[in-house]
Amino acid sequence: MTVNDLVGTLPLTVVAGQDRLAAEVTGGYVSDLLSNVMGFAAPGSVWVTMQGHQNIVAVASLAGLAAVIVAGGAVPEPETAAKAETEGIVLLTTPLSSFELVGQLYRSGVKGQ
Amino acid sequence: MRRFVADLHVHTLLSPCAAVEMTPRNIVWHAARHGIDIVAITDHNAGDNVPAALAAAKGTDVTVLPGMEVETKEEVHLVALFEKPRQLFAWEKVVAAHRSGRMNDTDRLGAQFVVDEEDNLVAVKEEMLLTSLTLSLNEVCDQVNALGGLVIASHVDRPAYSVLSQLGFIPPGLALAAVEVSRRTPRAEAAKRFPAIGGLPVVTASDAHTIEDFLSGPKMAFNLEAPTLAEIRQAINNENARGVVL
Repeated sequence: MTVNDLVGTLPLTVVAGQDRLAAEVTGGYVSDLLSNVMGFAAPGSVWVTMQGHQNIVAVASLAGLAAVIVAGGAVPEPETAAKAETEGIVLLTTPLSSFELVGQLYRSGVKGQ
Repeated sequence: MRRFVADLHVHTLLSPCAAVEMTPRNIVWHAARHGIDIVAITDHNAGDNVPAALAAAKGTDVTVLPGMEVETKEEVHLVALFEKPRQLFAWEKVVAAHRSGRMNDTDRLGAQFVVDEEDNLVAVKEEMLLTSLTLSLNEVCDQVNALGGLVIASHVDRPAYSVLSQLGFIPPGLALAAVEVSRRTPRAEAAKRFPAIGGLPVVTASDAHTIEDFLSGPKMAFNLEAPTLAEIRQAINNENARGVVL
């Protein structure tokens, strides 16, 4: 499954990284603590968070994540989108709550690791 | 008693997100030139550039306060300020024992430079500073206070890394001397815009990462007998005729 498959089926908006949507999704992770994500998210995961600070891009890059999904209708800061674009990180948003989105991801076949 | 202008939250080039122009010597030089009497050096989770700032301030009218911007395990940023360098050194030992164990990634997060008072490179700090310690909000507040320092909750008006963004409220009984608002919020309006502040004193600071931030950012003006943390503590609480100049 690719990020593009998820964008095609779930209510996700691409904020940055349009050219990286072919990335393979191998799992999922949800946390709003960046240090926790750095420590535990497996490479290739989609990460669901409500944090919109630009440091989410550094974390996604360090952890080798397939995409970051900012949930709950939260709006990433403008610097976050710009940084994601330069760093080649896929940044998505959704109006769904983290809980609802994770449920839909799981039903689509994205599992935790 | 006289008026002292104080910036209680300034980063040096040790913080990976700060500009390399933020050397202790350059900060002190600009402070002296622009009438900033008191500067707290508050790098993320480290105090390695405080000795250089103290040395650079020697023989000037600028007072450097040893400090640190600490990131708790809840990813809340707190400014810890100390009177004496030895109090900061004791606190650095506590911090060192509660690091994540991760090393910095210079390309992704930025470089962490330790320098001397003449801008010479002394070391590159290897530990990842821009991440949380394994200490809780309560533990940081209690331990900093026990060492004689005081704690100010950083930029409570910002949507990331603040006690309000992370927890939504300020835990009752937390040993905070004050909360800080950034340049986004006039100090006088802080309690109205953020009711969770309650009755805590509100301060503001530049949170400078560049010299431009440092010169243009908000600062405090205090009436003090002397430029010390003990005096500032009284001024924040309007005690013994010390106070904040509006």
